[in-house]
Amino acid sequence: MPTSPQLPRSAPFAEDQIAALNSVFSVTTAEQRAWLSGFLAGMQAANAPQGVAASPAAPPARKVPLTILFGTESGNGEALAMQARKVAAKLGFAAKLVDMADITPTQAAEARNLLVIASTWGEGDPPQRAVDFHEALMADGAPSFEKTRFGVLALGDRAYAQFCEIGRQMDERLAALGGTRIADRVDCDLDYEAPAGTWIDAILGKLNAETTADEAVTDEGASIIHVDFARPVADGFTRAKPFQAEITAHVRLTGSRSTSDTHHLELSLEGSGIEYEPGDALGVVPHNDPALADAILGAAGLAGDTALRSSLVERLDITTLTRKQIEDFCQLTGARVPEAGWETGRQVIDLLDAAAQRLTGAQLTGLLRPLPPRYYSIASSRKSVGEEAHLLVAGLRYTSHGRDRAGVASIDMTARHRAGDRLNVFLRPNTHFRLPADPNRAVIMIGPGTGVAPFRGFLQEREAVGAAGKNWLVFGHRNYLHDFLYQLEWQDWLKDGRLNRLDVAFSRDQPAKRYVQHALWESRHDLYAWLKDGAALYVCGDMNAMAKDVHATLLRIIADQGNFDEAAAKAELDAIRRDGRYLRDVY
Amino acid sequence: MDGTTAPLSANEHIKQNSNFLRGTIADGLTRVETGAIADDDQQLTKFHGIYLQDDRDLRAERGKQKMEKAFIFMARMRIPAGILTPAQYLAAEQVALDRGNGTLRLTTRQTIQFHGIIKSNLRPAIQEMHEAMLDSIAACGDVNRNVIASVTPWRRNGHDAVTQLAEDIATHLLPKSRAWHEIWIGEERVAGGVEEDEPIYGRTYLPRKFKIGVALPPSNDVDVFAQDLSFIAIEQRGRVIGYNVVVGGGMGMTHGEPETYPRNGDVIGFCKAADAVDVAEKIVTVQRDLGNRSNRKQARLKYTIDRIGLDAFVAELNARLAVKLEPARPYSFATSGDTPGWMDGEKGICHYVLRVENGRIHDLPNRRLLSGLHAIAALGIGRFIITANQNLVLADIPTDRRAEVAALLAEYGLDSSFGGLRRNAVACVALPTCGLALAESERYLPDLVTRLEGELARNGLAETDITIRMTGCPNGCARPYMSEIGLVGRSPGLYNLYLGGAHDASRLSKLFKRDVDDDAIVAALAPLFAAYATDRQTNEHFGDWVIRAGIVQRTVTGLDFHANLSPELRS
Repeated sequence: MPTSPQLPRSAPFAEDQIAALNSVFSVTTAEQRAWLSGFLAGMQAANAPQGVAASPAAPPARKVPLTILFGTESGNGEALAMQARKVAAKLGFAAKLVDMADITPTQAAEARNLLVIASTWGEGDPPQRAVDFHEALMADGAPSFEKTRFGVLALGDRAYAQFCEIGRQMDERLAALGGTRIADRVDCDLDYEAPAGTWIDAILGKLNAETTADEAVTDEGASIIHVDFARPVADGFTRAKPFQAEITAHVRLTGSRSTSDTHHLELSLEGSGIEYEPGDALGVVPHNDPALADAILGAAGLAGDTALRSSLVERLDITTLTRKQIEDFCQLTGARVPEAGWETGRQVIDLLDAAAQRLTGAQLTGLLRPLPPRYYSIASSRKSVGEEAHLLVAGLRYTSHGRDRAGVASIDMTARHRAGDRLNVFLRPNTHFRLPADPNRAVIMIGPGTGVAPFRGFLQEREAVGAAGKNWLVFGHRNYLHDFLYQLEWQDWLKDGRLNRLDVAFSRDQPAKRYVQHALWESRHDLYAWLKDGAALYVCGDMNAMAKDVHATLLRIIADQGNFDEAAAKAELDAIRRDGRYLRDVY
Repeated sequence: MDGTTAPLSANEHIKQNSNFLRGTIADGLTRVETGAIADDDQQLTKFHGIYLQDDRDLRAERGKQKMEKAFIFMARMRIPAGILTPAQYLAAEQVALDRGNGTLRLTTRQTIQFHGIIKSNLRPAIQEMHEAMLDSIAACGDVNRNVIASVTPWRRNGHDAVTQLAEDIATHLLPKSRAWHEIWIGEERVAGGVEEDEPIYGRTYLPRKFKIGVALPPSNDVDVFAQDLSFIAIEQRGRVIGYNVVVGGGMGMTHGEPETYPRNGDVIGFCKAADAVDVAEKIVTVQRDLGNRSNRKQARLKYTIDRIGLDAFVAELNARLAVKLEPARPYSFATSGDTPGWMDGEKGICHYVLRVENGRIHDLPNRRLLSGLHAIAALGIGRFIITANQNLVLADIPTDRRAEVAALLAEYGLDSSFGGLRRNAVACVALPTCGLALAESERYLPDLVTRLEGELARNGLAETDITIRMTGCPNGCARPYMSEIGLVGRSPGLYNLYLGGAHDASRLSKLFKRDVDDDAIVAALAPLFAAYATDRQTNEHFGDWVIRAGIVQRTVTGLDFHANLSPELRS
């Protein structure tokens, strides 16, 4: 059971008022509480006298400080950290959010109360912006955390072998460094919302009970409830309640001889109130391939169950296979547990086929995780396209273990939807991937493949607002002739002078593979000069291969052009990142 | 039609302002947003052997895809007399695989064309050929093109002579501009060096393309009457002592413009072997000075000659020559085709004439030309000689290696035989790469030949040599107006059918049917094959029979090419 939110006794209300409010809060949902907090903050802002800052009537309250530290790549960790801050604020903590990118372990060790929300990315790696913090924390010289109470919430994806590895490491390390663990770590899979909410309520409830008044300090901002207006999505559409956007254009961009199958979709957001910024993503709630659902029903001996079939198509993840699912399945059926790693490249259908066991409907759905949404960077600017959002989607098809496999959302969107159909979407803001606030600042955009999507939005935006800053795009794909996404649009922007420079790398056009990092290295002189002049650098696309290689190449370029050694180049790039000029949206 | 008073054509200005063929090509190569180059540069790269094309099969889909046309380049090598070492052949193969579309295209000018090279691969492709001592200078453009010569290595002395003359002319008429080396190879321009000059061509080069061939009778494989300038070798006691000079041949014409026409060349005299290069230079300079620079459709030497008259032309030429032309010597041609199979040469040497359908080297399921030629070239023996019929002669194979080569030919399915029509079939490239094509050619002719072979076999003519040539447009790269059966594209699926060319390519043909499709072509030819089979005289060729039988009128000169049509064709 989640801990109900309770007003602290220190709250500026009479005792009976506190009791009355608590009785209401105890039956509210998280959504209702979020609405209420926004409503009250909005009221306060609206009623503040013109030109006069809202000032508290009462002297600043004394509150217990709490640091909520997050490391995030996709933004989920940060969203949870914000959720935790809201809960904490209501409990009377003076909570501050800190990105691992902006803190050292020594600074973190100053915290008396520390919540850590740590994402694991790919094969057991920390999010890119948390790499330094993680490295310093694990290093020999890490500080003592003896005065710190902590708890760790780990985020990950069970489809990867090193599930929640970073959260696990940090949890153990903080304890080893003398910290006091006040709640057990919870490892969250893709369906993290419920367990994460429970963990947040539980740990804050426990902290609330354990902290004493003498820990409290004067909270400068205590009288104003922190509501991040930039963050909550006002349109009300969520993964659970998405907007049904009509597809108004559905065009394959890659040529008929391309090895890739990339489509441009235009979605109408008319009437949704969805107000995205360039850099934001749309969450897409896909449907599974009905043929795969039938195959799974068949393999489980459940063919013909139409209700179950629609669950499989619309609600459950029927592709991803985790070790835990295999173990659960084998326990259920008595089947022999396959060797470690058997799941690599395999999916749920392989497990069911391998064992050929009859299951009940409940057993089958019990094995399956909820179907997660997929996120796509928006490839447009509202200032240019109005109430539309454009998406760039590469249909994923491959073969493994003798079966043809298809990307759930990408194939749903590209092959099973056409113009006129509707797609379930909701907005996921990406505040860490925005154009510079200063329209005069130059930007360098590195976006191979579908990673180019947000940069089309960036250029549309900069054109619409008449931003004077220079724009440099680095694009890459496989074949120039067949994969040059949006080629005519780049040409037009070059002609207009809106795009100042374009570099390309097509990997399969010549005997030696050529990628965006090769184009960057060839342009290192200019790239470094742009950075020196204050340009902001954006990277979007594949994390494992591209973003890592680009990062390494940036370090080489800085070392080469700035005449730095490795450590100094790293410090230079870190400084650029801390300056908010090295931003990544990688997946 | 006097080219001296009308305004100059656009191309003349492009050449004039090109700084000896440089233009802005080098800059255009750095522009990554487009696979194309600037319009004017597209004219100039031709002088470097390079055409901008686009894949026409993809045109329809491109607009929707927010991509420009699928621009690709064709690069054509300069290979005088078509002679390559095995190592050069392997280098070319590698370029095709790494930089082009994976195939090599042998052409009617005895060279190799690479197709499907995207812009970023152009420089590497040219540089990789250059490393193998090959270049593409002047392989296209208003300049002397690749010089072709009969491929008869089994007649060693004669072949050496015509080959040497082709190479000497090619070298002598090569543009002097260093533009090619600077743009493609990266040669530094010498600062403050002597100002560049083109002593033979001048700053604006020739009014139009210029083609030269050298033939060793009785083989007319180079089609001497279809070239601007040809030399017919005259032998005395087994040695080439000199050449008959032929001027004013040319194929190109435009549908619906009767003032354009193919023309067979005129034999205007004889020169000694030592004077042949000078004759070539002076004929080029006459055309340089008198050719039409206002109207590119009247700019070939053939129109210059018909405009000023042959006698005036010869007089002008003789005035420029150190040694005037002598009267032409007797000569005799027998054939214009290649005869596939083994040929014995001098003692210890043999040769294999390999049929390459349409000149396209690629692997088909039962005929793996690309792989087979790779294996043969890897032996490192002999020479690879491309013929003007788009075939390949594996020359100078030591007799003691013949079995080895024969085994490879068998292994890759290259030793099969062809019927009399197919071994004499030539098609131009046309769709999808050639921008001029109005109809299919290379991709269609093999299927048409299959249908016609059925008709020929029915009439006992399967092994009778009949020349058939097809082009996708009236410019006539495959020299269709010189063949016994000629097909020239009009629009997708429709062709004009020409008959009555001579088997030895010494006579132009005549329009027989207009706008015929596949069925209509077969329907038109089938009864003629039947009648020819019963009516033919001993050794009478099909092209001669159609004239004797009155199927078409004989064409004597280019000026009567469009005349004397059957009544239903007169418009």
